[in-house]
Amino acid sequence: MENINLFLPEIFLVLTILATLMIGVFFKNSYNLVTKIVYGILVSLILIILNSFDESFKLFSDSYTSNSFTNFFKILILIGTFFILIITQKFIKENKINNFEYPVVLLLSVLGMFIMISANDLILFYLGLELQSLALYILASLDRNNLKSNEAGLKYFILSALASGLLLYGCSLLYGFTSSTNFDVIGLKANTKNLGAIFAMVFILVGLAFKISAVPFHMWTPDVYEGAPSSVTSFFAVVPKVAGIAVFIRFMQIPFNQLADHWQTILIFISLASMILGAVAAIGQTNIKRLIAYSSIGHIGFALAGISTNSVSGYSSSIVYISIYVVMNLGIFACIFLMKRDGKYCENLKDLSGISKHHPILSISLLIILFSLAGIPPFAGFFAKFYIFMSVIESKMYTLAIMGLLSTVISAFYYLRIIKIIYFDDVNKPFDKFKDLGISTTLLLSSLILATFFVYPSYLNILVKTLIIN
Amino acid sequence: MLAHTFFFYFFSIISVGSALMVITSRNTVHAVFFLILDFISIGCLFIMIGAEFLGMIMLIVYVGAVAVLFLFVVMMLNVAEQKQSWFRGREKSAHIPVGLIVSIIILAEVLVVVGGWKYKSNFIKTEMLAVDGNLTNTHMLGNVLYTQYIHLFQVAGVILLLAMIGAIVLTYTKRQGVKTQSYFTQLSREKKTSIKLVEVDSNKGVKIDG
Repeated sequence: MENINLFLPEIFLVLTILATLMIGVFFKNSYNLVTKIVYGILVSLILIILNSFDESFKLFSDSYTSNSFTNFFKILILIGTFFILIITQKFIKENKINNFEYPVVLLLSVLGMFIMISANDLILFYLGLELQSLALYILASLDRNNLKSNEAGLKYFILSALASGLLLYGCSLLYGFTSSTNFDVIGLKANTKNLGAIFAMVFILVGLAFKISAVPFHMWTPDVYEGAPSSVTSFFAVVPKVAGIAVFIRFMQIPFNQLADHWQTILIFISLASMILGAVAAIGQTNIKRLIAYSSIGHIGFALAGISTNSVSGYSSSIVYISIYVVMNLGIFACIFLMKRDGKYCENLKDLSGISKHHPILSISLLIILFSLAGIPPFAGFFAKFYIFMSVIESKMYTLAIMGLLSTVISAFYYLRIIKIIYFDDVNKPFDKFKDLGISTTLLLSSLILATFFVYPSYLNILVKTLIIN
Repeated sequence: MLAHTFFFYFFSIISVGSALMVITSRNTVHAVFFLILDFISIGCLFIMIGAEFLGMIMLIVYVGAVAVLFLFVVMMLNVAEQKQSWFRGREKSAHIPVGLIVSIIILAEVLVVVGGWKYKSNFIKTEMLAVDGNLTNTHMLGNVLYTQYIHLFQVAGVILLLAMIGAIVLTYTKRQGVKTQSYFTQLSREKKTSIKLVEVDSNKGVKIDG
């Protein structure tokens, strides 16, 4: 008899989702209450996972795995979701999309990501992926009276369903050519002589690259980010990417272990293309949400560059990168939720012009976050990029390193342009004054972490390396 | 054995006959009803060859969901009377050549499949399917679905729940200003609060809602 207790985070999550759903239905206007309960659920989940952090085991005839690697990613997802709920609370209420279903659907997508990360079996992986994606479609079209939000939801749904179809096709081919859905067995059987498995791997890579919006499967990103309500965009930009990178690493390490030569070429191309497109296409953007969409494409490119080296230092550097990416994006979205003028949330770059006169603290935090996004020392973003390039150069992939550095320089242009708009352009009307403890704490925490990371930069790297070696 | 043959011919004649009626009947609603009859008799045939799970699923999914959905669509679109039916209509339909080509291709494919069946032992290893004669299909499915794959079954359930939540969130609107019956206030009304006795002067009347 397998010990079901080891499956505890997922079981706890399912039961609490059902309970919050009932609470939401039976109390009227229960958005506030449900959100508070969801905070509690997220915090207790973090504690549950920390409780058995280092235990490594497999359940359900090896189709579910849990070890320190998956636990690290689960905690990262929980932290991201927690802070996003905090910073979006006010925005949601003011835009009258405060259905109690919003936090519940958010939790369901977290459940999907948990299953996806822990899956050691193609069927379970696919179910987790679908659970997560279905929740995201609903979230994208949550503001249903807004035409743009509807468009975003529909666009994301159709394109993502297509990508899921391709991924499923790859899964069925992989099952056909290795006669197993278990990752470990596939890892043994899918070698370079197994041509069908290589063919299947390409399809699975396409599906996964779509989910983390890597070039050339990025087309949906700017439209969906712009159309969806800002609260949902912030979730899209942070949490699913973490899950996507975790799944990428798991796939490359376990089932496609022996096919490294083949997937490395593909990943190098995807990562190069994402870095360059993320840098070049963001230059012309005037909408902040679109700009963040392109910048996130670029950042995913850097994270994938680390994975494409297929070395321990490469994997750990991309995990460090995605962790710092979460902190930076939480910070920048906290700023977006502070930018409200005459009762409306601003989304354009020119709304930022000259805000340093009226809002010195907001501008200095934006300065820190943008410098960090651009990868300028001594902020955390620099160390993230530094580790990536170190591992890439160690693996002697000089072209990738040079192109990556060049695209960093190009992308620095548009980050610095925002800083120029904030500090040196004509003074605009001040933003509305409002106090929100959650948003300011998040912003403060994010800028503090980014600004003080240089004190002991190798801490995270060492932590992550021990995770992978376990 | 005789009963078995009798039932087989009974259900197959019904299914073939109703399939013909589906494509020939003028009234689309009737066609959908014949489609349901066809599904039911095919479900019975499945049960006769021992695939009782497939038969029941046929009933639940095709009859219970798909055919009833067709019926709804037909009734909503109001296309009950079909004008062009190529058996009986006087006008010639332009779709017949295309339909014939497609059906000839399908017939050829069926022939290829039937021909290939002769060599099936070469590429399908039936011994992989470890069928236990004592257990029914439903038992066998249940044995793996609720033990080895219980977590997948549960996750699939959660996905369905999420789909339901999503449908409600995205379509349910609370309409403003709708007058509904409130049983509680209705029943809790008393004579004192609802009846007012007024003395009416002649030629003056009373103000209603006053």
